[in-house]
Amino acid sequence: MALAAPGQLNVQELPSWGSRSVDCFEKLEQIGEGTYGQVYMAREISTGEIVALKKIRMDNEKEGFPITAIREIKILKKLNHDNIIKLKEIVTSSGNERDEQNNQEGNMFKGGIYMVFEYMDHDLTGLADRPGLRFTVPQIKCYMKQLLTGLHYCHANQVLHRDIKGSNLLIDNEGKLKLADFGLARFFANDHGGNLTNRVITLWYRPPELLLGATKYGPAVDLWSVGCIFAELLHGKPILPGKNEPEQLNKIFELCGSPDETNWPDASKTPWYNNFKPSRSMKRRVREMFRHFDRHALDLLDHLLALDPNQRWTAKQALDADYFWNDPLPCDPKSLPKYESSHEFQTKKKRQQQRQNEEQAKRQKIQHPQQHARLPPIQHVGQAPSHWHGPNHPMSNSQASMSSGPSHHHYGKPRGPPAGPNRYPSNGNQSGGYNPSRGSQVGGYSGGPYPPQGRGPPYAGSGMPVPGPGPRGAPGGYVGPPYSQSAQYGGSGAARGHNSMGSNRNQQYGWQQ
Amino acid sequence: MAANFWTSSHFKQLLDQEEVDVVNPLDKEKGITLEDFKLIKMHMANYIGKLATYVKVRQRVVATAVTYMRRVYTRKSMVEYDPRLVAPTCLYLASKAEESTVQARLLVFYIKKQIPDDKYKYEIKDILEMEMKILEAINYYLVVFHPYRSLSQLLQDAVLNDINMTQLTWGIVNDTYKMDLILVHPPHLIALACIYIASVLRDKDTTSWFEELRVDMNVVKNISMEILDFYENHHKPINEDRISAAANAALSKLALKP
Repeated sequence: MALAAPGQLNVQELPSWGSRSVDCFEKLEQIGEGTYGQVYMAREISTGEIVALKKIRMDNEKEGFPITAIREIKILKKLNHDNIIKLKEIVTSSGNERDEQNNQEGNMFKGGIYMVFEYMDHDLTGLADRPGLRFTVPQIKCYMKQLLTGLHYCHANQVLHRDIKGSNLLIDNEGKLKLADFGLARFFANDHGGNLTNRVITLWYRPPELLLGATKYGPAVDLWSVGCIFAELLHGKPILPGKNEPEQLNKIFELCGSPDETNWPDASKTPWYNNFKPSRSMKRRVREMFRHFDRHALDLLDHLLALDPNQRWTAKQALDADYFWNDPLPCDPKSLPKYESSHEFQTKKKRQQQRQNEEQAKRQKIQHPQQHARLPPIQHVGQAPSHWHGPNHPMSNSQASMSSGPSHHHYGKPRGPPAGPNRYPSNGNQSGGYNPSRGSQVGGYSGGPYPPQGRGPPYAGSGMPVPGPGPRGAPGGYVGPPYSQSAQYGGSGAARGHNSMGSNRNQQYGWQQ
Repeated sequence: MAANFWTSSHFKQLLDQEEVDVVNPLDKEKGITLEDFKLIKMHMANYIGKLATYVKVRQRVVATAVTYMRRVYTRKSMVEYDPRLVAPTCLYLASKAEESTVQARLLVFYIKKQIPDDKYKYEIKDILEMEMKILEAINYYLVVFHPYRSLSQLLQDAVLNDINMTQLTWGIVNDTYKMDLILVHPPHLIALACIYIASVLRDKDTTSWFEELRVDMNVVKNISMEILDFYENHHKPINEDRISAAANAALSKLALKP
């Protein structure tokens, strides 16, 4: 039996089969909220090695071991690449509340199952949101190149990630970037014959074909997300922060133009095209909007944000882009500066504290002159201004201290999760502070009307009335069976661009995955 | 499903026949012989196939479920892991892993409705609990490669892809899951052995085609012999009722349920 005897720690080396107990690890702190449970930083007691433990929530699960966890395990056991997070093992816990001795047979797994991952110091969003931090162009190229390399490997192995976004891109202090959270990933067939759900990918990073209801799609969906992240890195903030599906689509059309015979011949074949087709034709404005980007960056972005998935560049094409082969070249990951650990989950918490301070300050009518927003990189190549944190810049004390503690004054526009009203001042709910509570992660905004569905999951059209001023984004009308598991533990990203997969992923339990 | 068999956990987990043919000491104590052991596993493979027809899942799910079941019994005893619960649970787990989810209550419903023997009756919570134990027993290795994939490619390549040959070989591949072949041999070699048998049965000359393949024909022939021996021992066509009766007799030695 791989489980430790009662009262004893199981510190043996990896057994040839079966799984060790989570007691082999000492939990240090929570660092994230995964798709179906919390993520902890932990230390392996016998080796002192720092790992990340991702808990798979089992209670309330009517259908046993969650299929999302099954997918993730299947996929992670198969992928083996430098730019993909490594699943080291799976451990179980017997649950503290139970009498250990009576636990041998019965409910010994009720306590939980943890996936053990290598520990990574940052996620891209957490890192980018560090006050005062500014990525350099070679640094962005370096991250982008690794992101595309990892994604190319996934796609070559016929895996779609389906939730590419900053908080799922982990970065260690060696500058290495790894794709993580394969909770929404799945295998795809080359013929795209599969009947896949279109309810994937965090809204802000979701491609137009999914928003238009496509159920046959391929790797191109991930490349759209890459385009959004790329632009976000260069632009300094998310480029398509839609509040709900219709608005998301609208924002996309405003930026990329409305679909027509040349830019997306098959658009009219998508299931919901007639519901969503723009009333007026719009011009593509990518090059105009981002004219401050350098030529090669713009060229790459333009191809990644192609409306037509067939015209969108593949990961391989993107890696061949001039952008990566012209000065300044992507830097060596190892040359990147080391930062104090930062995860979106933590920066979010810090921002929350800052918000509270700010609210307090407001009440006291104290003005805070300093405003912090994420800084875009310096676009001009070559000359580095004096405040440029170059690739070889050592970790600066000021940076480290700035990020910790709520005492400093970098408030201002929190580029917080859309789950919070303060992101949308027009809602007139300024005082709410954004609310990272689970409730707010589940569904979408209850905003704009949503036309009746021709097909697909019955997510109720126009939003439900939002009860009270509380957490907005009460389930945006996704009426699903009460498999509440995922609903409660929506993607970590629920934070940024709500991840609608919350409840409705389970809604589709068993079909259209 | 994709990716490369040679880098897969499936490949790394292939066992020798001698390792597979070990009766767990706990079962041995109860008087289970190697023959009983094989018979029970074969019966459970049939049982999984039968359940699959009620809940309507693909053959692929059946194949994966049978493989899980066989993997479980390379490590666990039948005394502790009642085959009558392990079998439906493996089907339940395989249906998730193969993206054709079957609800646990549906499975329980059909078992109650279709299987008269009370010893096969289990509740949803039993299945969910056993699912965890199975996941641990197979160490969360859920990906299984099957001969079916190579089969159609190979038949096409050999220009044997007429309906008759396809059906015959497909049927033989199905029958291989009544044995432990999938734990021992790479799936494409199992597929080749099935093609070999089918071509002999149908008088197709495939000698030159096999010669051009860069495979060890000795292995293919050995697998073929095993399959033919199996047919011989069980009087093709296989009589499931007879097996079922014999397996249940063997299962009663385990004295699992009152």
